[in-house]
Amino acid sequence: MTTWTFILKNALRNPRRSVLTVSSVAVSAALLTSMMTLQRELTVPPESEGASLRIIARNKVSLVQPLPARQLAEIERIPGIVAVTPFTYFGGQYNDEEFTSFAQFAVEPRRFRSLLVEGRVSGGDYDAWEKDRTSCMVGRDTMKRYGLKVGDRMKFRGTFYPCDLDLRIAAVFEGTVDDRGVFFHHKLLDELTGDLGTVGTWYLRVESAEKVPGVIAAIDGRFANTAAEVRAESERAFQMGFVGMLGNVAALIRTVNGVIVFTLALVSASTMSMTIRERFREMAVLKALGYKRRDLLGFILAEGFGLSALGGAVGIGGAWAAWTLLDIQRLTGGIFIVFEVTPRIMATAGVVAALLGIVASLGPAISVGRMSVVSGLKTLD
Amino acid sequence: MNTPPPPTSTKKDPIVRVRSLSKVYRQGDIDVTALNAVSVDIQPGEFVALMGPSGSGKSTLLHIVAGIDRPTSGEVEVQGINVGNLDESDLAEWRNQYVGFVFQSFNLIPVLTAAENVELPLMLTRLGRAQRREQVRAALELVGLGDRMHHRPDQLSGGQQQRVAIARALVTDPVLVVADEPTGNLDAKSATDVLGILASLARDAGKTVIMVTHDPKAAAYGTRSLHLEKGEIVP
Repeated sequence: MTTWTFILKNALRNPRRSVLTVSSVAVSAALLTSMMTLQRELTVPPESEGASLRIIARNKVSLVQPLPARQLAEIERIPGIVAVTPFTYFGGQYNDEEFTSFAQFAVEPRRFRSLLVEGRVSGGDYDAWEKDRTSCMVGRDTMKRYGLKVGDRMKFRGTFYPCDLDLRIAAVFEGTVDDRGVFFHHKLLDELTGDLGTVGTWYLRVESAEKVPGVIAAIDGRFANTAAEVRAESERAFQMGFVGMLGNVAALIRTVNGVIVFTLALVSASTMSMTIRERFREMAVLKALGYKRRDLLGFILAEGFGLSALGGAVGIGGAWAAWTLLDIQRLTGGIFIVFEVTPRIMATAGVVAALLGIVASLGPAISVGRMSVVSGLKTLD
Repeated sequence: MNTPPPPTSTKKDPIVRVRSLSKVYRQGDIDVTALNAVSVDIQPGEFVALMGPSGSGKSTLLHIVAGIDRPTSGEVEVQGINVGNLDESDLAEWRNQYVGFVFQSFNLIPVLTAAENVELPLMLTRLGRAQRREQVRAALELVGLGDRMHHRPDQLSGGQQQRVAIARALVTDPVLVVADEPTGNLDAKSATDVLGILASLARDAGKTVIMVTHDPKAAAYGTRSLHLEKGEIVP
């Protein structure tokens, strides 16, 4: 017999309890892993290589305030800018869906081509889209989700603008961090809205990452003290601005995570207390035979750690398998593109589960350490 | 300072030397004297039966001699080692090397086989696996259970379980075997077997055995009986 055999036999002496304990920890760990992944998906927008070169310029008052289209010529004159396009959020409802999870943007296709750094056209023809102002370019995920093909039509009911769209799919793109969007001609939006002479935002690409701060300062400075002051920021900073709006949701998720961890601690502590209380007499016998406090402490901690670690591994592995194998886009109605259980999340959940197993065992272990052999032996009579 | 009473022994060089041993328990606001200035010498190879009514202090004396309880005052020496001077860690090591325990309720670990139970004290030694296995086999054969090595306690009778406990007590080859009412939970036949084994340990193997018992028939197996009453040894 080895020490590990002894610990294993003790841990499995009540198989039903061991299975229930491992299951409880597994469910809690799976839940914790899922909630941490949810928090990450909500608060850490996906990053791409091109994002570091792109800038979004919006009205300084608020995102919903439009900018004058005439600003384009002045922005183009700022040194360091490679391309700039109007970038206006349409916010339409596709096929009268209650909730449309992909965005539609009005852009200038000729200018937009240079901004699609990491994406590529995988279906149809970009030139065909550029030539036909009633056509659109659609992300591969949306094509797949709705079973669309090039040449099909997509109809959107305007909720933000007082007009509807009827677009022919001319091109399909993929390879970006979000292959869901629909892009159409800004000229079409101008026609449908009676040419308001405005755009939602400006979307720019800068020559190099080093020039981004200078370009941002130049844009802000150029329109300072005008009727439409501009706030330019990197694409990343722009995305983080949306994340900031989710502040309370993130706090709520953190609270739920705390509750899960607390529950996990209670389950483990309760099990270990019961397990060790039943074995006080045996612990006293082991002490009488010459086992020291640290030996017994080691047995108890190893047992608690083992059960928790096993439960954690099952739960985290299960969560990883589930979120990897399931079609998260379909499951969430397109709210999430991916639901990536990262190694960091798995490691964090694993450490939490294992540490809780150890912490939960500390109480019973200390009781056993303090117990005198004589008082421990008396528990048998 | 009180002069200790003369020890109740007839030979020299005792293996167990108890001098002016007292133990006082605190029960609420009351001090209860379990042992009152007990002095006794026990020679190597003796089989001593500690007798007396409940609460007389016999189990307390056994526990202190075996190093699982501490005296309030007085000294206990086993083979020249003052047990009271050992810290908890050293005392644990000392018990492992010098003392074998046999309990009334056998106290075997239910999830371990007979062999694994007997092996428990050896896991604290530096012996290799093969050596441990050999010593376990020898100990179980000594108590007549060589063919029950892989049985769990619930697959053994009470008498067999107590013999496994004796094998566990012997496997480290201790100088002292302490038994706290070892026949209390056994039928007459099993009790006779167990007492026979304990007696032969003292007689044939030269072990010193100290046994607490209420039963005069059990005490008759010993080479000497000590009677305790109200914490004192009485003639």
